[in-house]
Amino acid sequence: MKANPQPTPPTWADKLLTWACASHLHESILGDLHEEFYFQAERIGERRARLRYWREALGFIKPRYIRRQKSPYPATFLFSHDMIRNYFTIAWRTLAHNKTYSFINIVGLSIGLAAAMLIVLYSKDDVSFDRFHTNNPRIYRVANRYMAPNGQQTGVTGISGYLPGPKFAAGVPEIQAYVRLMQEQHDIKTGAGIRSEIVFHTDSAFFSIFSFPLLSGNPATALNNPRSVVISEEMAQKQFGTSDALGKTLTVRTGEKNTGFEPYTVTGIAKTCPQNSSIRFDILMPLVVKPADMERSMNWFNTFLNTFVLLAPGSNLTQVERKINAVYNADAKEAIREVARKYDMRDKKEYLLQPFTNIHLNAGLPPDNGLEGRTNPQLAYILSGIAVFILLIACINFINLTVARSLKRAKEIGVRKVVGSGRMQLMAQFLGESFLLCSAAFALGLVLVQAALPTFNHLANKALAISYLFDIKLMMGYLVLFLATGLLAGFYPALVLSGYSPVKTLYNRLQLSGKNYLQTSLVVLQFAIASFLIVGTLTIYAQFDYLTSKDLGYNDKHLVSVDKQNLTREEAFRLRQELGKDPNIIAVAPKNAGRWNTSAKVNGNTEIAFTIEAVDPEFLPAIEVPVRMGRNFSHAFPADSTHSVLVNEAFVKQAGWKNPIGQIVDFWYDNARYTVVGVTRDYHYTDLNEKIGPQVFTMKHDIPYGRFLVKIKPGTETGSLRHIAATYARLFPLNAYTYKFMDDENLKKYESEAKWKQIMLFSTMLTIFISCIGLFGLATLSAERRTKEIGIRKVLGASVNSIVHLLTSDFLKLVCISFIFAFPMAWYAIDKWLQNYPYRIDISALTFIQAGLLAVSVAVVTVSFQSIRAALMNPVESLGNE
Amino acid sequence: MNRSYLGEFEEIVLLTVAVMEGHAYGVGLAHEITEQTGRPVQLNQVHSALQRLEEKGMVKSEMGEPTAERGGRRKRLYTVTAYGQNTLKQVRDVRDGLWSRLVKPFTPALDV
Repeated sequence: MKANPQPTPPTWADKLLTWACASHLHESILGDLHEEFYFQAERIGERRARLRYWREALGFIKPRYIRRQKSPYPATFLFSHDMIRNYFTIAWRTLAHNKTYSFINIVGLSIGLAAAMLIVLYSKDDVSFDRFHTNNPRIYRVANRYMAPNGQQTGVTGISGYLPGPKFAAGVPEIQAYVRLMQEQHDIKTGAGIRSEIVFHTDSAFFSIFSFPLLSGNPATALNNPRSVVISEEMAQKQFGTSDALGKTLTVRTGEKNTGFEPYTVTGIAKTCPQNSSIRFDILMPLVVKPADMERSMNWFNTFLNTFVLLAPGSNLTQVERKINAVYNADAKEAIREVARKYDMRDKKEYLLQPFTNIHLNAGLPPDNGLEGRTNPQLAYILSGIAVFILLIACINFINLTVARSLKRAKEIGVRKVVGSGRMQLMAQFLGESFLLCSAAFALGLVLVQAALPTFNHLANKALAISYLFDIKLMMGYLVLFLATGLLAGFYPALVLSGYSPVKTLYNRLQLSGKNYLQTSLVVLQFAIASFLIVGTLTIYAQFDYLTSKDLGYNDKHLVSVDKQNLTREEAFRLRQELGKDPNIIAVAPKNAGRWNTSAKVNGNTEIAFTIEAVDPEFLPAIEVPVRMGRNFSHAFPADSTHSVLVNEAFVKQAGWKNPIGQIVDFWYDNARYTVVGVTRDYHYTDLNEKIGPQVFTMKHDIPYGRFLVKIKPGTETGSLRHIAATYARLFPLNAYTYKFMDDENLKKYESEAKWKQIMLFSTMLTIFISCIGLFGLATLSAERRTKEIGIRKVLGASVNSIVHLLTSDFLKLVCISFIFAFPMAWYAIDKWLQNYPYRIDISALTFIQAGLLAVSVAVVTVSFQSIRAALMNPVESLGNE
Repeated sequence: MNRSYLGEFEEIVLLTVAVMEGHAYGVGLAHEITEQTGRPVQLNQVHSALQRLEEKGMVKSEMGEPTAERGGRRKRLYTVTAYGQNTLKQVRDVRDGLWSRLVKPFTPALDV
């Protein structure tokens, strides 16, 4: 009382009461409380009066005081027919009145939705891979890993050999069945010709483990006879012209050496494998393993096929894994010892089981060795990111445009409020409008998905169909997407618009041109995303150009590669003679097929891993790789084939040789020591995604030739190819002839980059397009809002230029601000991406300048259309309509 | 029963409203009742009694003039309606009747 001459009642208690109690009681309750407070403060002091105040105030927190007063007027019925009809009429009129915005809103949103739908389709497809097998949680692939003595994992692979399947099934009771799946390429007689086809060899349990339905034939016995074959519907059509081919004969040559064709009876026609299956076979044959092969313990280390096992229901995976390793360690004891001795192998091999459904998206143990659908999980993430971006931008547009347009509808809202519309009704109206637009966009989106699906399938390497969409789970997903988009897009306008005070809107006092931070920040976000993607696209393009145009170190032009399995040295000699008869053929160089990696010791005891190439003296001149030091192989040195090797510069560098000529490369496991006679210049023998590693050229006989390169004269492709084909058919009548141009092949190595390029270009264009239509809408609105200002400016003597500048610069500022956010992020992202490539472009400022210029110019073009129109308007018209 | 039920506290409030002759409002009533009956009364009790009486139609209210000690808020002033007066009279008649039938009224020895 001494310090504070004017005691005040606790404000928080007042706030609480104001919030809790019905408004019509506020006055008398608070009035009484205050009066009492001042009375008591006089009597018993402020502190106790406050306490008492609280006690009294809390006494009013009762249902009696909380219950709101019933309105004396009839409650507005939210779902009155007339009002709902009115909402539709008004919604339709606003849409029809503002055709541009409506178009922008709907098209923008539908593109965003379509993008999101495509991604959902894509991810559904990825996740659904291999899930259609009814045995599913119980199917596992036998994989193995190598563990170093220190317990570190040194390698892991899903490839196994003949032995694990049968041995594990015999030794572990939980394993009910096993199936091995081996991919091979066989020649098949087709009428008069020969075609090379991919064939899978498998065990008879194949159809009992996997759910591949047979159209005809008995799945239990189809693969029992070693002379039987199961073909797909598609293959039956291709081979026999009918899918009713049961019992017909397929003539196949399976022998490793040039044995003849043998007849196989078709015992089953399978439905063509679904595209979300890792196993996609056209021809299925029984796997015949010689008993001797099953006995050889060393076959534990001979791996080339996939083995799947079916576990009994309720098996404990850890226990089964322990048991199979026990079987392996017991059965392969001899082989393990031999490998350790012969190859100095210290790592321990351990078997593990990988769930079948886990294969498709697994990067460490991917679908390989005949399994299809190897995919880059990163791509799915990036795609989803892009879809979210696009959906986000489309929603931003929607919000931006609806808010901006609704500023013009302020009067409507004012009138609605005056004639008794409640806030709930207004919110319902605006949310309803948003959902209406959203469903229109949704319908259009579905049409767009249907239209874009072929292109998308091509880009994503999928065979998706719109029928995928008609699935309960996906429908639910789309419903959620629909609701989320509708809410997201309609929520802000509904909340803000319904809060306008009718007095302000009706007296035109609402400030329409105030600083709209939400709108500006949304535009900034939009353009940040767009310029981020532009930088990404430019970089991917530059990197792709770099990869495809970089000098590979050898000449791949006019170089034809022809496959021939087990090309012997004599055959190669005859081939060269025969082909050489055509003067257009410059060189013929046989070579091993595929890529051989091995290792050897140099400098006494240092082991180097390298790629080994079995060639002959013609090879290096044919591909125009110069020998830097020493000499090439030569027929003049007969000892070359047994004593000499050539190495590349990378090898010399890794070996640390000052004087490479005369050094020894020791293939210690074969007891063979070779002398380096020459050093070749480094060339990119594989794609540029890999650094040039050590490479050794040899004429050793134990690596078979598998193909030959033919250098032909430019411009003689037709004649030369005909000559090669004829010669091939004459010399090797039993082999299928295929040829490839090396430069085409090299381009094909960058298919994944090409796909990236397309996806990025596509999404960037979409993003820019959506951002632009959004910007266009905003510019239109801003020009319209400032019609009078522009009129007055013109009357006062402003030039068209200055007005265009005025209207454009606002938006350009925002675009420029967006760069501040986009460029550092883009720099970080492309830097990360480029790290994947050992041979890559440098990130240059030019990319960013280009991206910036592109974004700015696109924005200028978009905005200036409206700005110029507004600036050219006759002030008499804009000012006269008062 | 030809009248609505009237609680004991309601009756006191109603009577006090009648006594205060048009100047009855929340705090005033609370003070008056405390003074007259000697029992502590909370404001919310008075308010709920007044609300109930108003719902029964025994009092009616109107807003008075704003005063400074109420922070410029107006008082809600209550007056007894004819129905309220009737009810009070009936209550009194019942009691008077009962009292008059008391053969040997209590001696004031009870005043402690």
